[in-house]
Amino acid sequence: MSCEGQIMTQAPPAKPTPGLFKRNPPIAGEAEAIEAAKNGDAEAFSKLYTLHKRRVYTLCLRMLGNVSEAEDMTQEAFLHLFRKLGSFRGESAFSTWLHRLTVNLVLMQLRKKGLNLVSLEETINPSEEDAPKRDFGSRDPVLTGSVDRVALERAVASLPPGYRMVFVLHDVEGFEHNEIASMLDCSTGNSKSQLHKARLRLRELLRHPSESPLPEVTSEVTK
Amino acid sequence: MNQPGDINFDTLKPEEFERYLPELFANGDGKVSKDPRLQKFLARHPDCAALVSDLETIAETAKSLFAPVGDPSDKVWSNIQSKLREESALSSESDLSSEQNGEEQLREID
Repeated sequence: MSCEGQIMTQAPPAKPTPGLFKRNPPIAGEAEAIEAAKNGDAEAFSKLYTLHKRRVYTLCLRMLGNVSEAEDMTQEAFLHLFRKLGSFRGESAFSTWLHRLTVNLVLMQLRKKGLNLVSLEETINPSEEDAPKRDFGSRDPVLTGSVDRVALERAVASLPPGYRMVFVLHDVEGFEHNEIASMLDCSTGNSKSQLHKARLRLRELLRHPSESPLPEVTSEVTK
Repeated sequence: MNQPGDINFDTLKPEEFERYLPELFANGDGKVSKDPRLQKFLARHPDCAALVSDLETIAETAKSLFAPVGDPSDKVWSNIQSKLREESALSSESDLSSEQNGEEQLREID
């Protein structure tokens, strides 16, 4: 991973992402608030915070799996937003732009932390022992076509950081594999493969819940 | 990464299927269970069909996690406000200092 420097200067994508536009429709009054905040209107910036704090915080919480770190990162994301707002040109939905900015900050934070960086690398390129086990031919219980949302939250929070990152970015946040590959500085094939392994690991955790440790995030997520 | 274009669906074995699965999920709408080319194979291999069904269920349920879980605590906003005030004060000081330097330079020129 050698894109730490790029993340600071990497502009959010100019090209709109259709999937994210669907999930991030424009919000009434947002455009006016953005323009006013660009001109230093503190009240308008406060409005932007109110409109987007939940989404940003939720994204940080899912990616970091820790309430305290997620709050710190939410704070950083909005401070960064304040400084960079002038460069938002409206070529993508504001929430998509803010989303990308937050993801980049979280990734940079994870790379700064030695321990997480190691585990991220390990799960981006896991050894055979780390990879989820093959289980064709097994007679373990299947998920019977439904998964409890809270159980999935818990399982996702207990995934290794690299698996969690790709799963959250693709399956929860709706990013495409090519976008994830660019963010994580890996190949598209690697992103697809990691997503698949993350889902396999989740399947194991959901079929054998006792093997899933209770992460800190759970109490917050299940509120 | 194994490409689905290489697959012979008539002779496909479960081990090969597993290798192709990430790509099969990434292509199309991710509904591997509905892929017409795989219907016979999945009918022959119920464990593979169960795996596909489970992974589709996980991916589908994950969409519901997009909804926000809650607000950050109030201290986040108060921290943001104080940081911005600090930055604003520093920036004003720096502006003032450069203005003063400019005035001193002008006086020197005069």
